[in-house]
Amino acid sequence: MADLGVEIPGLSMANPLMLASGIQGGNAAALHRVASSGAGGLVSKSIGPVPREMYPGPVCVEAMDSVILNAMGLPNPGADKFAEVVRGEEFAKPMLVSIFGGDAEGYVEVAEKMADAGASCLELNLSCPHAKPGSRSLIIGQQPELIREVVAAVRAAVDIPIYAKLSPNTTNIVVEAEAALSAGADGLALINTVSAIEVDPFAGRPIIGNLLCGMSGPAIRPIAQRKVAEISLAMLRGELPNVPILAMGGIMTGLDVARFIMLGASAVQIGSALIWDDVDVFQGIADELSSFMEQNGYDDLASMRGIALDSLEGLS
Amino acid sequence: MTLRAAPQNRPEDFDLAALADGCCERLAAAYEVRGMIAPPIPLPVIEVQHEAEGVVTLWVQVPPEMVADYNPGQYFMCWNPYDATGSMGRPNYHSEKPYSVGDVKIDRSGVDERIAADTGGSGRTMLGFTVKDLGRQSGELTRMAVGDWLAVRGPFGTSFPRMNSGDRLILVSGGIGSTPMHMAALDARRKLGERLRIDAIMGFRNAVEVHYIERMDNLCDSLEITTDDGSMGTSGFPTGPLPDLLSNGHEGRTVLLTCGPEPMMKPVLQMAVDAGVECYAAMERYLPCSVAMCGLCMVGDRLTCVDGPVMEGDWLLQQADFGAAH
Ligand SMILES: Cc1cc2nc3c(=O)[nH]c(=O)nc-3n(C[C@H](O)[C@H](O)[C@H](O)COP(=O)(O)O)c2cc1C
Ligand code: FES
Repeated sequence: MADLGVEIPGLSMANPLMLASGIQGGNAAALHRVASSGAGGLVSKSIGPVPREMYPGPVCVEAMDSVILNAMGLPNPGADKFAEVVRGEEFAKPMLVSIFGGDAEGYVEVAEKMADAGASCLELNLSCPHAKPGSRSLIIGQQPELIREVVAAVRAAVDIPIYAKLSPNTTNIVVEAEAALSAGADGLALINTVSAIEVDPFAGRPIIGNLLCGMSGPAIRPIAQRKVAEISLAMLRGELPNVPILAMGGIMTGLDVARFIMLGASAVQIGSALIWDDVDVFQGIADELSSFMEQNGYDDLASMRGIALDSLEGLS
Repeated sequence: MTLRAAPQNRPEDFDLAALADGCCERLAAAYEVRGMIAPPIPLPVIEVQHEAEGVVTLWVQVPPEMVADYNPGQYFMCWNPYDATGSMGRPNYHSEKPYSVGDVKIDRSGVDERIAADTGGSGRTMLGFTVKDLGRQSGELTRMAVGDWLAVRGPFGTSFPRMNSGDRLILVSGGIGSTPMHMAALDARRKLGERLRIDAIMGFRNAVEVHYIERMDNLCDSLEITTDDGSMGTSGFPTGPLPDLLSNGHEGRTVLLTCGPEPMMKPVLQMAVDAGVECYAAMERYLPCSVAMCGLCMVGDRLTCVDGPVMEGDWLLQQADFGAAH
């Protein structure tokens, strides 16, 4: 049997398949349900300083084959309520707690509450607008100076490992990765959704309640792979410190996982695939990955990691 | 901002029937892909049928194969993309919500009967969604007019069990829970004719909101109406007449189906389980996404949107979070 185990800061998992943030994981019952599946780890819904309501629907649709569009509006129970979940519940799988805030103080407030409650590591969702006047149309993750400010503030406030989750909606993702890592992040997670819009020509308006939306699902996988490759290559060149990458975007099969690992990822996250097969996807993908590794003589993930980068090195 | 595509801004001589046909073709193409429509597809409302105060049925035209495949219990997400002024606002209040199909029919108006007979009979296959004014969003839907857009996607979720010849069906509804009960009765009669017995109890708050009586009376062997305030039928809750139905010995399989507010369904299911009767509930929860993404529709360890809305009564009764008002 191939060894699928993953050991990275704050996370010790039996396989590299984690639930992606925002998919089902905002309450204890839903997290237990995912934990009892074949997933190796959990990521919570992004938790903010105060409870937030859902945007008006439709909030999430399969717009066409392989294309998922969503604008949920970061609905979440708020830091105090979720701290009770972190403190009181024993999940069968390790959990990365995803957090967000309107500014550095907001992130710090949530980070401290989660760390106090016993969270073993944090993922900073940087794909949300900054509360600062004048930066409304841009998300924090598109502004390296704000990434640095947020990550540094959280780094100073808590001791647990932090993963910075990057947006793909930037010019050169290595710049944002550098900002996060130089400010003290222990790892990276990418990609968040690709900004999108879809119009219904009959109704003459966007089909998502919030109008603007983010795109995920199999259609974005090649984009995500490119972003992961760019960061991995920068690590090889020594432009970025060598830290674990949690990769995601459109993963549906064991082979998709192998693709990301071969581009340098340490583990992966899976979100949109649950639309089609719910939590059963995890066991299916784990089995596929395991038999693929056996067929090809890979004993563990380390023996596959980054091998596709060899062919790309000359490009840098 | 008012938009050109808002129904309010259509020209005087607008051909609504042609639009409905076009939308129906589009729906058929989307539906063919996987027996389900994934993005919301706007359909013009063809007819608005008044059912009771604050209760209307919105009729839309859909491809016949969609109606043929529909299994009672399943739901559609329905959404009105424009408000009454023709603007969509942001955030708009017309958040998408789940509705069970309430009724189906073939509309032959406008069909040339001679041609229809030649071609094996045609007409417009119509799906009716019955909505009740329960608040901001469903209130908007009850005020919709002919020609307004109703965007639908589905059908989603689990359905009621198959009935067989010789079975007996007991249907217990509360309020707007009447709609899936009606579809269950309609479906059973279409498939089994008189080879099955159907007994129904319909509960309402008061006489004013009573609806679907005629439809159910045509399909059921017995029908009992209850109102909380006694303004019509038997005074009290649907649980009042239920023991009589449950003890009325039937040789063979009896299945009880219920739909309504959880505080009503809980005792109904308990009585059925105590009487040893197989029972199922169609859960009326708010389903924000309907596609297993948000995780906000949990009952016990299940997601209502995909593991439901139809769930086994004995299982539901063991769940601590079943039975409260939502
Ligand atoms: C419905 C939905 C909700 C999401 N909510 C969040 C969220 O709260 N925080 C976050 O960091 N990412 C969120 N995401 C992004 C996912 O975590 C993930 O980065 C993205 O969907 C790509 O992976 P996938 O193609 O496997 O879904 C959400 C995605 C979807 C589809
Ligand atoms: S309605 Fe969103 S998961 Fe069920």
